Amino acid sequence: MQKPDKNSPSAEWIRSLRARYPVEAEIDHVLTRKMERRSGPGFSPIPLEELTRRVESLLHAKLGKQPYKFGDARWMTGGSSKLQMAFTLEWDRPGVGREKTKMVLRMEPAESIIETSRLREFQLIKAFDGIVPVPPLFWCDAEAEFLPYPALIYGFAEGIAKPTKTRPNSSRNTTSGVGVWFPPELRTDLARQFVDCLAKIHTRDHRDAGLTAFDVPQLGTTQCAEWGINLWDRIWEEDADEEIPLLRLASGWLRRNMPTLDRHSIIHCDYRTGNFLFTEHDARITALLDWELGLIGDRHQDLAWSTSHMFGGLDDDYKTFLIGGMIPESKFIEDYERESGLKVNPKTLHWYKVYNNYSLAVMTIGTCYRIARNGKTHQDVLVTSLIGTGHIFLNQMMEQIEEGL
Amino acid sequence: MQLRSEIKLASMIKAMKDVVIPSIDAKNDLAIQQAHLIVGLLNLMVHQLPVQFRFDRDELKRLIDCAQGLSGLSTDDPSIGEANKTLGTRCAAAAAVLERCAGDPAELTAAVRDLREATGELMAAAASGRDTAALGVVEKAVLSLSREQLLRDRSLMLPQGWEPDPTLIPEIQSLLQAVTGNP
Repeated sequence: MQKPDKNSPSAEWIRSLRARYPVEAEIDHVLTRKMERRSGPGFSPIPLEELTRRVESLLHAKLGKQPYKFGDARWMTGGSSKLQMAFTLEWDRPGVGREKTKMVLRMEPAESIIETSRLREFQLIKAFDGIVPVPPLFWCDAEAEFLPYPALIYGFAEGIAKPTKTRPNSSRNTTSGVGVWFPPELRTDLARQFVDCLAKIHTRDHRDAGLTAFDVPQLGTTQCAEWGINLWDRIWEEDADEEIPLLRLASGWLRRNMPTLDRHSIIHCDYRTGNFLFTEHDARITALLDWELGLIGDRHQDLAWSTSHMFGGLDDDYKTFLIGGMIPESKFIEDYERESGLKVNPKTLHWYKVYNNYSLAVMTIGTCYRIARNGKTHQDVLVTSLIGTGHIFLNQMMEQIEEGL
Repeated sequence: MQLRSEIKLASMIKAMKDVVIPSIDAKNDLAIQQAHLIVGLLNLMVHQLPVQFRFDRDELKRLIDCAQGLSGLSTDDPSIGEANKTLGTRCAAAAAVLERCAGDPAELTAAVRDLREATGELMAAAASGRDTAALGVVEKAVLSLSREQLLRDRSLMLPQGWEPDPTLIPEIQSLLQAVTGNP
């Protein structure tokens, strides 16, 4: 059988992948769009002036004849998958009046580490406005009608993603929120809010949240888990270069051990240190970020993600592992059960730990390679560096599978 | 091993051209010149890396041919005779090396990829098949293979600083020596 050309995929091959790995409709839409555009140009730097002009065309369409003043445009770092530009807008803000609002444009490059829907991200952030700290959301250009690529515009949230104080004598790479450490004086307050927010997210009723771009998996079945495995199996087929037999083993293990969904929850899917902002002087979480992977599914997925050893580190005794660099796992689970009123099933939690490491290995080794190889992002050098994390995820996944065999 | 030199070099060149060079102060001639030289040398590596091994093998072959051509050299000068004898000895050693280097690194990499793929296909077939005994055997073999390989992959990436506890990972030199016996 002839191997597919992954850098220039045929329509027939794309169709076969869609049929083989059914996923939610909107996710299918963005993955298909990615594959249809793959043979097109890579990412070319967009001058700030050009992007500014495009944003102004969006503002013109959204604000009509209302007078406004756009300014202070500058590039932002942070976020390994999306471009971010900060700017200010002096305008008549609905419900507020004339003000100068600090805003952020969050836009996809030609391809991302994670190909996601701006519409879903927009709906999720809207759904949690006033429930947990989220940045105020203003506009969504889901199909790149105005901007070069799909994008969101939201309000600038004050705060930082990692503490200014660093761990003494540490040489660990903390790029993209990996291995962060918090000084003891911040841990208790931040950990309490971290758990509280997660409990609120998981107990929010999805039925009145306006999540029209989401499919709802059937309760009492394994459909939720199956959609998840299909997603990452499909992405591996689309992106991977070098085969990894262990991933085939993992996919089989996951399918043989799929958990039944006992309750619908809205899932953030990237809930970890590095994806929330906080202010140091009062140890307060000011915004939960990066909702792009969110879905309606199983709460254990978020719990397993948050407790990943990649997103935490050892306490100052170098013995106790702290999830997110803040709190031991047993305390995290205990507090979560109390705050949410939801039980944690250890077997389902274990399954989602394997699943999450599976997804991270696919993302870092498969997708990071493919998009850097085709020059598809604004920071291929960062994406290439992240390939080096993949073996750690694979190793964690292997050890977790061995525990469950 | 996915993080090979080709992809690293390509992403470094793109970062230099798209982000770093345009950001350098236009008055800093030294920085601009050196940044362009970095890109130039990185591009040279892109050009050289795929042929480096063959280039060295080709040179060695011609050096051996040259030495062998001189083996019949007739001379009354003892110092010339001695030097030619040394050349002959070294030529024999070099010829043995050349014989051991018959394969190309690209062939080695292709064989690795090919065998990974075939092993992955067997694993996938066993996972979706009905023979649970066969599945158990294949899983055990793949886990054993992966355990050793991942240790080497992680060791090779140690300088990146991702490992939560790098002291748990042996040095790559010792891991490679343990299996191949090569120093």
